[in-house]
Amino acid sequence: MLKFKHSLCLAAALAASVATARAADTITVVGWGGNWDKAYKEGVWDKYTELTGTKIVQEEWGGELAKVRAQVQSGSVTWDLISPEAPSVEIGCAEGLFVPLTPEITGDPSKYLPGTIMECGVASDTWATILAYNADAIQGEGPKSWADYFDVEKFPGKRGMLAQAQYTLENAMMADGVAPADVYTELRKPGGVDRAFAMLDKIKPHVVWWSSSTQAMQNLASGEVVMTDQYNARVTNDIVNEKKNYKIVWDAGFFYGTDMWSVVKGSPNEKAALEMLKWFSIPENQAGFSKLYAYGTGRVEAAEFVPEDWRKNLPTSPEHAKFGATYDTAFWVENKEALEARFKAWQAQ
Amino acid sequence: MLMTLLVVPLVLFILVIFLWPVARFLALSVDNSDISSNLPQTFAAIGDWQPSQGPPPEAVLAALVGDLANARHAGSDGVLAQLINQRLVGTRFLVIKTARDAAEGRLDERPVKDALLAAHPGWAEPALWTEIIRARGPLTDYYLLGSLDLQRSPAGGVEAVPADRALFLNALGRTVWISFIVTVLCAVLSLPLAQAIVSAPPRWSRVMFAMVLFPLWTSLLVRTVIWIIVLQKNGPVNAALVATGLLGEPLTLIYTRFSLYVAMVQVLLPLMVLSLVSVMRRVPTNYMKAALSLGAPWLTAWRRVQLPLIMPGILAGSAIVFVFALGYYITPMLVGGPTDQMISSYIAFYTNTTLNWGLAAALSVQLLLILMVSALLFWTARAFMRSPAEATQ
Repeated sequence: MLKFKHSLCLAAALAASVATARAADTITVVGWGGNWDKAYKEGVWDKYTELTGTKIVQEEWGGELAKVRAQVQSGSVTWDLISPEAPSVEIGCAEGLFVPLTPEITGDPSKYLPGTIMECGVASDTWATILAYNADAIQGEGPKSWADYFDVEKFPGKRGMLAQAQYTLENAMMADGVAPADVYTELRKPGGVDRAFAMLDKIKPHVVWWSSSTQAMQNLASGEVVMTDQYNARVTNDIVNEKKNYKIVWDAGFFYGTDMWSVVKGSPNEKAALEMLKWFSIPENQAGFSKLYAYGTGRVEAAEFVPEDWRKNLPTSPEHAKFGATYDTAFWVENKEALEARFKAWQAQ
Repeated sequence: MLMTLLVVPLVLFILVIFLWPVARFLALSVDNSDISSNLPQTFAAIGDWQPSQGPPPEAVLAALVGDLANARHAGSDGVLAQLINQRLVGTRFLVIKTARDAAEGRLDERPVKDALLAAHPGWAEPALWTEIIRARGPLTDYYLLGSLDLQRSPAGGVEAVPADRALFLNALGRTVWISFIVTVLCAVLSLPLAQAIVSAPPRWSRVMFAMVLFPLWTSLLVRTVIWIIVLQKNGPVNAALVATGLLGEPLTLIYTRFSLYVAMVQVLLPLMVLSLVSVMRRVPTNYMKAALSLGAPWLTAWRRVQLPLIMPGILAGSAIVFVFALGYYITPMLVGGPTDQMISSYIAFYTNTTLNWGLAAALSVQLLLILMVSALLFWTARAFMRSPAEATQ
């Protein structure tokens, strides 16, 4: 029954987009480059071009909001659809740099995972920072929680940890027994951040800090560390392509973050870009990306269209999503600079 | 005359491509125009009012609403919000949302106080107004003080920031110290190497010279990352130490000050060798021979005859190595630990990640000052060296 309902919606939506899009449109889509762009091209955009004749030009950027600001303020907007990180969308939307999206474009907002839909954007990819360990380096039972990750007596060996406050404070709070959903409530309380730092104090001598994920995976492979925090797709990549014996501990709890698709205000192809976003908001179309890349998207049902043996790698799959909570972009937009400075000072002590 | 004309393009080039942008960037360390030019009416309305006298007067709030509406229309509300949030964390969305409401006419009723404070109660905070009043004027010392771990106290004086936020003085000291040690290590290692290159038969000399230059043509990143693999826990160095029984357990070599020195010395050594070789080639070998034949022990002869003659090369090489080392940040980030990070990494962080260009510029000012002082020191040393050396000739 459910399946039938989907295909009906799908057919209606497809018919609508085909009818309205003009064949001559060219949309400039700005993504994160590399395999990410490739997955979007092969899994999503090529299908849309085939369906509507709309040409899609891919460009690459590093997420710098200042570039969007410059385009909008100078009135020469060359980007149509771009993928900024969620905090940048939050800021840019408030500043009026992005086009607000209506439910007519995005579909019912309640059908999205929390945090994957915003006033001016829908998730282009939903990634998670997870706890991973090297099953060759840990004999017997592996760690089951962030508390285990912080427990060097139970699991001797160094820990890999991302050298920044964002994501790390969340992990420390989970290790201190806070459920993912309550982490930001606790962090916002007076002394909440101190509590996270106190937790980090305990593990500090056992940490090998990393700043690029390649470095972190190298440390895990070489035995420099026995477990690490990491972006989930990076670990999956090494398990699948390099046959590594790594395990992702999804049920330890994890936070997921999103990059968004947003339409730049004043884009020359605003209408065509919105039309394409409308097509993208259909779960099956979103799944085209997740089939090729171990990140989820926004619509809850999108995971259903991903083959089961690959779905287990996605943070948005039904069996994992229940252990995750979304990063609080508003919290980090305002606190990032101050907390990162404090974190650096703490690191250097 | 012709010579002067020929130099003009070069001078213009340096001025336009180098000095002008650097000066512009450094000016950001005291520039406050993004705040002062966005809140002109507000600052005028504030006059002598202080937050300690009670809630902000109606005239101030009305001026604020007007200013924020203008900023919104000009597209500068985002920058303003970011700057105010730097000074008082947690105010970014307050400013942006108020600007949006102001621009869309939702705060037009009079008295504005009721509408504004009902929708955005944050504007009743005395702390916020203290920061705003402090930020008036076209220039600010906020960033320069911040880059020295200082801040303005509530009373207006200068005080140290709390210990858990003190960051930059340590980093500056560390940067100078690491650069100094790297320079000394490079000099000590280069002396025998350069001497060997100069003394070897021409064919071998060329081969050795090429071997020194070869790494210089390899990507910095490759040379740095290789050390991670060589020095890691199960890497070749540790494996060899354990296999030969010198160690029971592998040492932590990577992500330490030690690995940072190793990587930086390896990267910068060729620069020192190059300047030493060029000077040593010009020193006749008979001087050392003469000193030795007159009965001086080798070390004395080297110290009193050879060393003064090659000193200009050591100084030039040291100056180059030291200056290059001061600006390092990718190498410390990749092979150093958290206590080995250098000042440039903070400049990069504030430039790229948080877009706090004021603080980045203030830190750059300090780096530039260190550079100028060290240049002056090298220059003075060079001047002192010259007199005895020239006297012997």
